[in-house]
Amino acid sequence: METIIATNHLSKRYKNLWAVNDVSFEVNKGELLAVLGKNGAGKSTTLLMLLGLVKPTLGNILILNKQPQERAVKEKIGVMLQEVSVIDALSVKEVLLMFSSYYENPLRLEEVLEITGIPIEMLKKRAYKLSGGQKRRLNFALAILSNPQIVFLDEPTVGMDSTVRKKFWQAIQFLNDEGKTVIFTTHYLQEADDVAKRIMLFNQGKVIADGSPLQLKSHLSDGAISFTSDQVDINLLQTFSHVISAKITNQRIVLTTTSTDALLGELFEKKVVMRDIHLHRARLEDAFESLTVEGGSVNESLVDANESRSITDI
Amino acid sequence: MKAWLMQTKVEVLRIFRNPYFVFWSLFMPIVFYFVFTNIFNTGMGDSWNSRFLMSITCFSVMGTSILTLGIRLVEEKAHGWSNFMRTTPLSSSVYFSAKMVGQTMIHICSVIIIFVVGAVINGVSLSVWQWLTSALWILIGALPFLAIGTIIGAMNKVETAAGISNFFYMVLAFMGGLFMPIEVLPSIFKTIAKAIPSYHYGAGVWEITEGGTPSLLNIAVLTGYFLLFVVLSIYIRRKQEVVV
Repeated sequence: METIIATNHLSKRYKNLWAVNDVSFEVNKGELLAVLGKNGAGKSTTLLMLLGLVKPTLGNILILNKQPQERAVKEKIGVMLQEVSVIDALSVKEVLLMFSSYYENPLRLEEVLEITGIPIEMLKKRAYKLSGGQKRRLNFALAILSNPQIVFLDEPTVGMDSTVRKKFWQAIQFLNDEGKTVIFTTHYLQEADDVAKRIMLFNQGKVIADGSPLQLKSHLSDGAISFTSDQVDINLLQTFSHVISAKITNQRIVLTTTSTDALLGELFEKKVVMRDIHLHRARLEDAFESLTVEGGSVNESLVDANESRSITDI
Repeated sequence: MKAWLMQTKVEVLRIFRNPYFVFWSLFMPIVFYFVFTNIFNTGMGDSWNSRFLMSITCFSVMGTSILTLGIRLVEEKAHGWSNFMRTTPLSSSVYFSAKMVGQTMIHICSVIIIFVVGAVINGVSLSVWQWLTSALWILIGALPFLAIGTIIGAMNKVETAAGISNFFYMVLAFMGGLFMPIEVLPSIFKTIAKAIPSYHYGAGVWEITEGGTPSLLNIAVLTGYFLLFVVLSIYIRRKQEVVV
């Protein structure tokens, strides 16, 4: 596989704080990578360094085997930054044409409109009069009009409503299918889980996990089964071989387990009377919590989160 | 080249579509001119009319240089534009030179409009040569003020930049004798005026309307200030880059 981004012991210090601390990773062509982390985890600083906007204190970066500041690199990347309000006094069309003029082989205007879903009527509007969601769409258009090899998106869906968001991710999927590498930062875990093929989790300036969503989730293999029952001895359940812990929460019996499948089998086998059975699966959010918060109780968050699926759905 | 042309076009469009520019740099100077020469009848005659026309053109171009350029640069930075531009292949020299050319085109328009108003309303009549050299002086003499604009542009907040640049603009215009001849003011004003660029900016073009040429002193002072402001502007930008 072709490596298109490589960082080597990348670090950035602001005054006394290491915002990014000794981060080394590689990105291959065609990846769809989510950079996940809380505010201040170092993900935006890393992105800005990749873009050549912030100078690393230590370490180095190669993008397409070149320095990030080089013009040849800028020709091949597309960028969507946070909080860029669009240039004043120009119409959407003028903004798009202006940016197209910067690149050697830009997409045609129609192609840009098609991918981003910008309607023709929007072209005549002054860019500063657009709604928040429309502005984000214009920013997205600016990120892809160069027909880039790598697309960098910093918190791209902030300010998008759910319909726009869905279309946005469809467009990203399309670009990725065309072989473009896409890197986005987000703090929406669900988004990273749904969209990304690879997730890098930042915490306190370091990469603390890096892998597919599935791998990250399996970091935390515990699931849980909950049900209601009037005639069950919780102490008995505790003795089941697949039960890690048993307790009663909100009148429901909650059993945490390493394998929900095996536990279900055991429950049926032992003819435990159960009603309204729910399966709770490990979610990325829980993996995230357990990796970033020390001493947090993972199992409780499993049940408290309303991510349970009724057994009838499975 | 394609990018440069487009960028220049865009800069011109942006300035003309900016209501503040139209108001402060075109409308206000014309109103000032009309009021000062017609309503307050100063009885100073034709030479005053043509001299004041030049003052007010200087005032307009100086305003565009300091305010429009400076505040625009700050806005672009505050809105994340400058950073975003740096992720595109557009080089900063193309960006900057397009801005300067765009700015100069705007100055040319302001000069033409105000000159036409002067000729039509007050019948200011000068030789073709005088009109042309006056315009040229005003365009080239704007350089130190454009440099001030880039210093203002290094500020981080639009409000601060707007406040400070307006203050300097008005002080420079008043102290430089662009509103009223410094000869009618106490002598202390004369001393101050001779030390600031706006006076020499005006003085050069007043000479032209009276049939003379700008003095070497005018040229020397404006050049000196231009170099000073450019060095200052570059120094401030370098210092800001270190922080990043």
